[in-house]
Parts: sequence; C-alpha cells; structure tokens
Amino acid sequence: MPRFVRLVVRSTSIVIAAGALAACDSDSTNAPAPFTGPALASLGRGNMNTRFMAEVWTRGDVAYTSTWGQRGQAVGNAVHIWRIGGAQPVLVDSLIVENATTLGDIQVSDDGRLLVVATERQNGSIVIYDLANPLKPTRITRYLTPNTTNGVHTAEVARVNGTLYAFLSIDPPTARLVIVDLSDPANPRETLVRPMGAPFVHDVFVRDGLLFTALWNDGLTIWDVGGGGKGGTVANPVQIGNVRTATFSSQVSGSEAHNIWWFHDAAGGANAKRYAFVGEEGPASSQTSSSGDIHVVDVSDMANPREVAFFHVDGAGTHNFSMDEQRGILYAAYYNGGVRALDVRGDLSGCTAAQKSADGRCDLQKMGREMAAGLQGGQRVYIWGVHFDGSYVYASDMLNGLWKLAATDR
Amino acid sequence: MVGLLRRVAAAAALAVPVAPGCAQITDSAHVATVSGSVRAQALALVTRVDPAMSARAFTEGYLAQPIIMAHGSAFRGALAAVLSLDFEGLTLDRGQLTPGAYGEGYADRRHPHTYLHEALIVGRGAFYRTGVSLAIGKGFVPFGTDDPMTRPFAAYPVNHHLAQILERYVAIGALRYGRLVVEGALFNGDEPASPGAPPDADRVGDSWAARVTARAFYQLELQASYAFVTSPEIADGAGLDQRKWSTAVRLDRPLSRVRSGLLEWARTDALLGDLRTNSFTSVLGELTLAVRSISVSGRYENTTRPEEQRLLDPFRTSRSPTDLGIIGITRWQVGSVAASMQRQLGRVDVAPFAEVSFSHPSAELTPTAFVPRDIYGSSSIWSISLGARLGVGPHHTRMGRYGAGMPNVTPRVPHATH
Repeated sequence: MPRFVRLVVRSTSIVIAAGALAACDSDSTNAPAPFTGPALASLGRGNMNTRFMAEVWTRGDVAYTSTWGQRGQAVGNAVHIWRIGGAQPVLVDSLIVENATTLGDIQVSDDGRLLVVATERQNGSIVIYDLANPLKPTRITRYLTPNTTNGVHTAEVARVNGTLYAFLSIDPPTARLVIVDLSDPANPRETLVRPMGAPFVHDVFVRDGLLFTALWNDGLTIWDVGGGGKGGTVANPVQIGNVRTATFSSQVSGSEAHNIWWFHDAAGGANAKRYAFVGEEGPASSQTSSSGDIHVVDVSDMANPREVAFFHVDGAGTHNFSMDEQRGILYAAYYNGGVRALDVRGDLSGCTAAQKSADGRCDLQKMGREMAAGLQGGQRVYIWGVHFDGSYVYASDMLNGLWKLAATDR
Repeated sequence: MVGLLRRVAAAAALAVPVAPGCAQITDSAHVATVSGSVRAQALALVTRVDPAMSARAFTEGYLAQPIIMAHGSAFRGALAAVLSLDFEGLTLDRGQLTPGAYGEGYADRRHPHTYLHEALIVGRGAFYRTGVSLAIGKGFVPFGTDDPMTRPFAAYPVNHHLAQILERYVAIGALRYGRLVVEGALFNGDEPASPGAPPDADRVGDSWAARVTARAFYQLELQASYAFVTSPEIADGAGLDQRKWSTAVRLDRPLSRVRSGLLEWARTDALLGDLRTNSFTSVLGELTLAVRSISVSGRYENTTRPEEQRLLDPFRTSRSPTDLGIIGITRWQVGSVAASMQRQLGRVDVAPFAEVSFSHPSAELTPTAFVPRDIYGSSSIWSISLGARLGVGPHHTRMGRYGAGMPNVTPRVPHATH
C-alpha cells in the first residue's frame, strides 16, 4: 500500500507540475493607456443600469438608444427615448421589440421622419417607427424576411439619388448585404441581396452614390451604387476598389474591418475627401477589455485605396465613430478606453520618420493628432457608440447609460 | 513469420473489446482471434436543476447517450473497424440540463453529439517490439482524457470542450512500446455544426494533436497531450484558434475497492494569430469506490468557461458569432456524488443510479456582461438526477483510443461501470 500511495503522490505531482509549467505564461493586465491632454468634459449622464446600452442617435433635443444582450433578467429588446436639452439626459419613454434579445443599430432618417432599429440574432429584422412625435415613436412595420432572420448586425439608413434605403449587414453563416427601399416605409422593398464578407459584413457607409463596406478579413471594399461612374446601382453595385487594412498587432492576421466613415472636410482643400476611417474590432471581453485600431485609408484613387496612417490606444479598441466635419474632428467610441477625439484635418499621410510605424504608416498619436479624450480615469465605462449633434458629443456606455460630453474645438 | 503474425494477432486483440462470451483481454502476448462485438446502451434519467435559469428550477426527463457501438476485425486483427452511432440528435435536441456545460451552441445544457460518432478503419501491425497503427475516419482526436460517456457520472463535466476533442475527420498514427504509447493526429478543426452535419472535409489537416501515455504500476496511467485547433467555432476557418494542453493521471482497478480515479488538468488558449486573447483552465478529480455492491463516485472540478450572448432560448448561443469577443469568463466549481448498482436482467445490464451535484459559478473577470448570480438567480445551484443506465452486449472500454493507441487494457469486470 505505501508503494501505491507513493505512486499516486508521484503521479499527481507530475500532473500538477506540468500544469503549473504550462500555466506560468499568465495574462497581463490590460488597462487602457490614459490620455493626459484635454478632457471632453462630462456634462451629465442619464442612468441606465437595468439593461446594457448599445448604439445612440440624436435628433434635436431627443436621443434614442438601443439595448444589447442580457443583463440579469432583462434582455436587449428595448429602445430608450431621452430628452437631452438639459445637461443631464432624462429618460422619458421606451419601446419594446417583441421576440428580440439584442437591438444593435439605431438611426433616424435624414429627414427626421423615420426611426430604424436593427434586431440581431434570431428573428433578425428592422423595425421602422414614425417620428411624427419624436418622443412618442409609433411603429410602422417590422421587416423580417428569410434574408434577415439570421440577424441584422447593423442597419445604415442613407439616401441614394433621392431614394431612402436601409443597408442591412446580415449575420453569418451566410453573411450578406441586404438593401431595402424605404420609399414606402410601410412596405419596405428588398432591392439587393448579395453575400459578402469574410466571414462577416459588419457595417457600411454610404455617401455620394458610393457604398463602403466593412468586410472583416476582406477589409474595406468600395462600390459604385449610383455615384461612382462605373455603372453601378443600388440593385447592382459595382466594385471599385478594395484594401485589406492592417491590424493592431503584428502577431495578428486579418483586418477585422468593422465600421467606416468617409470624411468630407467642410474646410475643403486637397484632402477634403481623401480619407476614409476604418474601425478595427479586435478581440474583446465585455466589459473588461477591447482591442483594435483606427485605420486611415487614402481613397483619393478609389480603385486603389491604401492605408496611410493609424491610431492606436494601448489596452483599448475602437468601436463606432461620429464626426464634426465642420471642424475636422473624429470622435471614436473606445469601449473601456472612453471616447477619443482626433484632429483629422489636413495631410494624414505626411509624417516624419519618427512618427512612422515599422511598416511605413503614420502614427496619428505620435503626430499629436489626439486632441482630447472623455470618460477617462473615473468609473469604469464601456463605450459602444458616439454621436455628435453639432454641439455636444453623446456617448452610449453599456455599463452606465447615456453621457453628454462637451465637444472639443480646434 | 509466425512470431510476427502472433504479435499482430495479439495487438489486434488489444484493439477491440471482447466479443460476447469471449475471453478477457489482457496485455500479455496472449493470442486471440476476435471477430467483433456490438453493444447498445442508453441512459434514462430525470434531472432537476435548481435554479437552472432566472431563479427557476427545471425538472426534465431524457433518454441520453443512446448509442450503438460496434467493433470488428479481420485478417487476424491487422485490420479493424470501429463504428459508433449516437442518437442524441433525436432524443436530446434541447440538450441535457447540466449547469456549466457549454459548446456547439448550447449553454448550461450539454449538447447532443453527432449521429455518426465514430467510424474508423484501423490498420495495425508490429515492428520488432513496437506496435504501430494507423486509424482513419471520423472519431476522437488523441488529446486529453477519456470521454465522459465512459466515466461514472451521468452529467458531463464543464470541461468537456477543454479536455476532449471528438467527432472530427482524423488520421491517427500510433506507436506502442511496452508501457509507452505515442499518438499523433491530423484533423479538421471545426466543431460539429449539428448532429447530422458532417465535418468540413476541406479543413482536414488544418489542426493537429499529439499525446503520450505511459502505463505505470497499480493500473496507474499518465498522459500528456497537446493540440492546435484551427477556428473550432467559425466553420469557414476565420475564427479564433485554440492551443490546448492536457495532462492527467488515471487509475483503473475495477477488481479492487478503489475502482477508478482520475486527476486531470487542462488548459485552452484562444488565439488570434499568435496573440492570446483568453485562457481557460480546468482541474478535475474523480474517484470511484466499491462499497459492497454499490459503486460510489465523487467528482470535483474547477473550470473556467467563456460566456457568449444567449439567444431567445437562454440555453442557446449563436453558432455564427459576429466578432471575436466574449462577454465574460465564469469559473465553475462543481462537486458531485453518484451511487449506482449494477444488475443483470437476462441479456440486459441495468444500473440504477442517483447523482447529486452542487455548482458554484462566479465571474472570473469583472466587470462582466455575464453575472452568474443575476443570470441564474443564485450562485448556488443544486442538481439531482435519478435514472438507470441500460445496456446490451459487452462493455466497450476506452472510447476514443484506437489501434496501438490503446494502452494495455485492464480486465473489465462485469457491472463495473456506472
């Protein structure tokens, strides 16, 4: 028996020692790098602690926020409506979308008449509301088809040649872009279904008859949908160019292209329409860590877009964007890194050797392009989206609610 | 030549379990011609979990693990075949309530396995004193510990996806020299998409594994294994990869008072390229004692698991994630006790059992989008299962090891399992 006991002890020791050896490569802490420059002053917050907040959109004195996932017993099936005229957003009403667990994107149409909400996962759809009374949206219809039911990850509402469309990025396994004509909001009409993305199509940006798609590992693809001079239409987009953007780490392959903004600088000049910003969504653990850079793509030659610069925050990754195009400022949600404001006016591809990364791209941080940051250093935040309304920056914090921040100036 | 044939035949005898009425299998050079065997078994049980979800207790009944296992050999064992058909896709589509279980689109329910659980052809021979084999087909990857189906609990441990890799197209080369077994394999990384879905044949060879097993005295067995699995969760290969380690001590003495034991450690790193994004670990111990005619088993495990968004059915997660993130990591500490007693009713072996578990989930990362106490309504979860394991035909041991990869097998006493 003692021999047996010795054998058990010895064998156990081997197992534990092997485990300890393999486990010694422990994870490091992943706190976001603090920004020591000017702060985007926090003016107030509307609390939301019962559900996780997702995207934010504002129009006038009203903000709409969506909800995500499951928080305790509450699921992300609510749209919250806020008065934002004062310093502190005030929750005034909510809408519930039945048979939904996550509402991702939320957007008001450019004429202020419609509110479009995406529902993700099972029963993927868009829900369209009439905003005749902005504080009391009334449902017009829920658009759910076999082509959307796997989940609408994002829904971008944009006008092409005068017609209002919703561009829906549909979840895999067969990731696809679905474009819906909203001319008659009560009867949305499917205009295009096209598989794309590797393996996801995450988001799009539409402007001047050009469609920019964020295709994850396929990077950024630019399509003519009526304004690119290639014969493309919304019903038949024609590809113009593609670039596979870089990643936040040399250890990582793929692009993880997540969202896009094609910047039109109101100040004009040679660089006025030269840059598209691509958000990279790297690995994350909600609501502790995130990763992914902002990639600056020179689209002056749409057929041959190329990445020329990037912005990186140690320990945090970017999510959605909003822009103050009058002042040339990009606001980026940075999850656990708060909100970052970047000066993106002028030449972003011209930098000194010391401001370049090893692969030759300009590092906006080394160029001193970070102007200000919000929601730093205080309570933990996890910022999903930002929306600049011309005066203020609204940030949707998954953990805490809707923040109203002072915008920055040049 | 005769000696070589004798060695081949002996090796074949170790590759397949005994046929009904045949002599026992041993690790000696005893030469036996084994033509094959078939066993059908299932687990009928009622389980109550309190709370299972949202502070609610669930009580459900199942026919779990309904499986037909067939082994056969020809050419005096030089060629063997293994076939396992699992019908959980028909009986267990909603999954088996198992706090902490996860994987393949299920959470807190153990997922059903695929209809074609194993189907392999095994060729084997001997070179001097070394047994060699090559197994090709669909089945277990030589990684980690024995499948929980062959162990003494009705509920799978939380660490199933950390400690086993199964239901893949696989090619396994194995060498056995004395007490040492070395296996290496190539396989497809994608996890089964559904009970009826085959693996992606285009991905065969994108993943690999190796395992070393050493047989010590007193039926003690040591194993250490490593696997690199390409994108198990996103079928087209664009998801996070996994780097996996497992090491374990296994005790198998079915004729003694201490019948079996297992102490295992496992770890899985999730990788994006070369960057580790998360790490999940498990320590698990099992022990089974014979108390008169009753087998009494205890198990403790301490395992971390990833959390993903739940669907409208709170026990399901998406099989098509839209990013590389998780919403949290939960540590599951689970203690279980089971008792069973085997009886033979004609050709049917029946083992009534009772099993009780206590689970304590806690958030490993904070803040987190998955707070166990809020999701379940408590951080103390009790489970009780009552039922019986039913089977016809000889017991098949060491599911998932093939050819020379099968360490020397201990004689299996009737009624020794759960």
